[in-house]
Amino acid sequence: MKIRKIAAPMSVAALMGMLAAAPAWAQSAAQTAVDAAKKYAGTEITIVWEAGLQSLDPLNFSGPKWEELTGIKVKVIEVTTSEMFTKILQEHRAGSGAYDALNVIPSWMPDLVRAGALEPLDSFVDKYGFRDELQNIAPTYRDNQMTVDGKIYGFPDDGDLFILYYRKDLFEDAANQAEFKAKHGYDLAAPETWEQYADIGQFLTDKYAPKMYGAGQFRQPAYGIWMFEERYRVEGGKFFDPKTMRAQINNEIGVKAYEGMRNDNKFMPPGVETWGFVEALSSFLAGEIAMTISWPPFGRWAAGYGLDDAALSWVPKSTIAGKVGYALPPGGTPQLAAGFSLSISSSSKNKEAAYLFIQWLNSEEISLQRVQLPYALRDPFRESHFTDSEYLSRWPDAGAYLKTLRAGADTGLLDLSILQIDKYEEALRQSMSRLWAGEDAKAILDDVAAQWDSLTDKIGVDRQRMAYADWSAKPNAYPK
Amino acid sequence: MSGASATGAARGGAGEDARRRRRRRGRRRLAARYVAAILITVVFLFPIYWLFMISFKTPEEIFHSPPVWYPARIQFDNYAVLFRDGDVVTVWNSLFVATISTVLAMVLGTLCAYSLARFKTGGDNLAVWIISQRMIPPIAIVFPVFLLYVWLGWVDTYHGLILLYTAFNLPYVIWMMRGYIEDIPVELEESALVDGCTRWQVMARVVFPMVRSGLFATAVFTFVFAWNDFIFALIMTRSEITTYPVQVTHYFGAQSNFWAKIAAMSALGTLPIFIAVAFLQRYLVRGISLGAVKG
Amino acid sequence: MSGPLSASEAGMGFRIGLFADRRFKYLVIAPAVFILLFIGLFPLIYSLVVSFQNINMMEEDTSFSGLMQYRLLFQDLRLWQSLGHTLLITAIALPIELLIGLLMALLFLEHMPGRPVFVSLLVLPTMIAPIVAGATWRLLFDNRYGPINQVLGWFAGEPMTVLWVIKANLVYPAILLAEIWQWTPFMFLILLAALSNVDKNLTEAAEIDGASDWRIFWRIVMPAIWPVMAIALLIRGLDLFRLFDVVWALTKGGPGTMTETISIYTYIQGFRQFETSYTAAIAFLVIVMLSVAVIFALRRMEITR
Repeated sequence: MKIRKIAAPMSVAALMGMLAAAPAWAQSAAQTAVDAAKKYAGTEITIVWEAGLQSLDPLNFSGPKWEELTGIKVKVIEVTTSEMFTKILQEHRAGSGAYDALNVIPSWMPDLVRAGALEPLDSFVDKYGFRDELQNIAPTYRDNQMTVDGKIYGFPDDGDLFILYYRKDLFEDAANQAEFKAKHGYDLAAPETWEQYADIGQFLTDKYAPKMYGAGQFRQPAYGIWMFEERYRVEGGKFFDPKTMRAQINNEIGVKAYEGMRNDNKFMPPGVETWGFVEALSSFLAGEIAMTISWPPFGRWAAGYGLDDAALSWVPKSTIAGKVGYALPPGGTPQLAAGFSLSISSSSKNKEAAYLFIQWLNSEEISLQRVQLPYALRDPFRESHFTDSEYLSRWPDAGAYLKTLRAGADTGLLDLSILQIDKYEEALRQSMSRLWAGEDAKAILDDVAAQWDSLTDKIGVDRQRMAYADWSAKPNAYPK
Repeated sequence: MSGASATGAARGGAGEDARRRRRRRGRRRLAARYVAAILITVVFLFPIYWLFMISFKTPEEIFHSPPVWYPARIQFDNYAVLFRDGDVVTVWNSLFVATISTVLAMVLGTLCAYSLARFKTGGDNLAVWIISQRMIPPIAIVFPVFLLYVWLGWVDTYHGLILLYTAFNLPYVIWMMRGYIEDIPVELEESALVDGCTRWQVMARVVFPMVRSGLFATAVFTFVFAWNDFIFALIMTRSEITTYPVQVTHYFGAQSNFWAKIAAMSALGTLPIFIAVAFLQRYLVRGISLGAVKG
Repeated sequence: MSGPLSASEAGMGFRIGLFADRRFKYLVIAPAVFILLFIGLFPLIYSLVVSFQNINMMEEDTSFSGLMQYRLLFQDLRLWQSLGHTLLITAIALPIELLIGLLMALLFLEHMPGRPVFVSLLVLPTMIAPIVAGATWRLLFDNRYGPINQVLGWFAGEPMTVLWVIKANLVYPAILLAEIWQWTPFMFLILLAALSNVDKNLTEAAEIDGASDWRIFWRIVMPAIWPVMAIALLIRGLDLFRLFDVVWALTKGGPGTMTETISIYTYIQGFRQFETSYTAAIAFLVIVMLSVAVIFALRRMEITR
């Protein structure tokens, strides 16, 4: 627990006395928030949260707890992810003041800030002494998902990234190792390049299909575009020419990435093109695929953690607990896909109360509890989360799991974020569905590049160039 | 058309034979019709059957390949979750909003339809304008209406949504009822008027019984439009009066697909309608058969 | 009710009746028209005004931009494609729904014991929320968990991988199947009610005269049900034009923009891209087009009657 540093000189005894009484004296950000919020007791604040499993956090845990501590009622407004950007902007445009606190996907933040929908938080942060705890968020999230133009607009609240999960029992099987080495000339281990991924996937499928396939993946466009963004950059691609601001994704690297993804489908279960999050999850948990790349919850649930909770009754039981290995996806630079930051709506009528709530949510002690909720979809994002002894004890391999997450947080790649990014992503999403429909990859990517270029022209080449320069200057925009 | 005398003459020998032939044909036809009816019903009901079955399955059974046609046990856990989490209130919201807006639309619409049918009020222009209201895709007007409602403070309120559904259903009701009313010979009403009835009485005692089947058919579909609407409810509600279609879409998470909840909620959302139809079909069919035996 | 009136009393009553009628006929349409104006007129005016401005996601430029949005509209290939998709779906689904609905109505027309049960069961697909119907068919079409591919596999003798909502040549059949499944019962019910109201005396007389079933149908029955059928076709046609839920649940307009209907495109432009002014212009275009089509259709219907 952090003790606020006191600059004035003190006698040793007094200091000792203080240290001994640390819990009583220490003002964590959580405690500060609670104390300051009590004066708003009896009021109600609204918070927009992703519908479904995510919102169980404020509905079942943090909302009631906050009310208990401060007397402020929390009304959760569940919104499906695909509607969130729309609803936030819509309510902002109407000036309705219906939303107080918000969950925002970090790549949207620049757009929302420019539309004036988000409240700058620096003055609140200083007023309630949150800077220290904000420093302790893992650097990748802290330095990339918190500020726009140097001002704080959101608190990173979810360590989303893509992890490679693989059946280590199969990889460690002696017969498999021997056969693989004989065939390909290198050891069977978690793939480090996409070529290795294809080799291993094909090998396992050849050996075990149709009972089990080498790999499976969520291929629906909404998820697929993140995988493309990652693979494209791993292979050396850049999204735009920084001088002319022309799209580059239709170059040979892009085509190779798209064709690679489609070729990989060949050793995946038939129909993998229709897979979403849940199809991939249930397939992996049932032992039908040996490798998959997905967000951190897969790892927790594969280990069987939290599956007894009623909220997760829709998740098929894990048949592979204890058999799962964790690694970074090929290339070692996982996409920090999506993620969430906590923000305040600029048209809120309860800004301070809402701010105190999000400070409390994001604080060290509360966030630690929240990422360990069995039904939580919030993943570790603070340094303390990765090393917490309670978390480490949750299941035998939790240590390896957290270590992998932490490594990914360092090397991870940000989602592309420029002006009106949603429109660019929309173009990518459509191109991905055309990819699965069977069209020529170069033709598809040429269309996307053309769409991107006309979008850039419409938005203003200079403005977009500046936005892109800002984004690509971030340490996690491209692999180092 | 042949005169009555020709019919009378035919009633002798040829008519008798025809009737006997018809009876024999009739029995075979009836059997064939039953077979066809059952086949058609099975085909149309199969997706509904599948949906209900999902609501009874366990997660393993739902995500099982090859698919499970009948769950090992009919278990109501998925429904219990909905009740426990309070999601069921959305079904109530739908019920409330749909019922009131249907009643309003039927009453106001039928009155209006009568005026259009009997008096040609407003001439073609009014009729065409009313019909044109139904042509507008909801997408086109939903944002301006949203702004209007924000200004009025009607977003996420019962009366707001009810008014919106009523307005959207009125053209349909007016249209359909105008057609049904025009089908009724106007002489019946005129004789009642001559007898001293007011227009209101004419409507209640003469018109209403005659269009009953049309009335109920229209009411059923008006109710269904309001009950199942998605796009208006999506934009106009936040958390207070969420209706069941919007609630169902909440279960399509980015990182979770509560198929069990989707199915259970859909089943719950459909049950009131099924019950209503079960009751109304008495009137529907009676109305239909009464209408067939016209003088 | 009183007894027969004298001539002068009747005459007077007639004049009073006329006056009362006038009040009646306007009074009775007033509430409906008022509501329609309220909900119908304001958005129209707003959309018209906004379509001449330049409001989008980032800018709230409310200056007069003339016909800029409309010019963009005519150059927007994706818009016209979406119109094409919508018309295609309408042109295929509507006749099929009519035909099957008519056949079903004829099947159930004559009395048969248990008919009410059949009718109420058959009407159920129309009662399901379209978004739910779309979701259900999504599951039915699912390659791993859906029964359709399983049944196809039984016929083919080997497991079939048919990606209904992914492959370009399958998405339209999938959408049409779901849509026709859901709305044929609507036609069925309307036509059943209309057919039941056909005067039995006419048909029986013709039958005795020796007319074939076919001729009876075409010469007597069809003209009798045509008014109701025409209205039903018009309503269903307009509904198909506004198609959103089912396509959204199955393909979200994909692959690419292949199954994007005009409503889906408008939604994306308005609520994802926040091109408020452009969307208003599209809305106007659509309204104008539909108005023309409906007026044309109504005139023809009036003539036939």
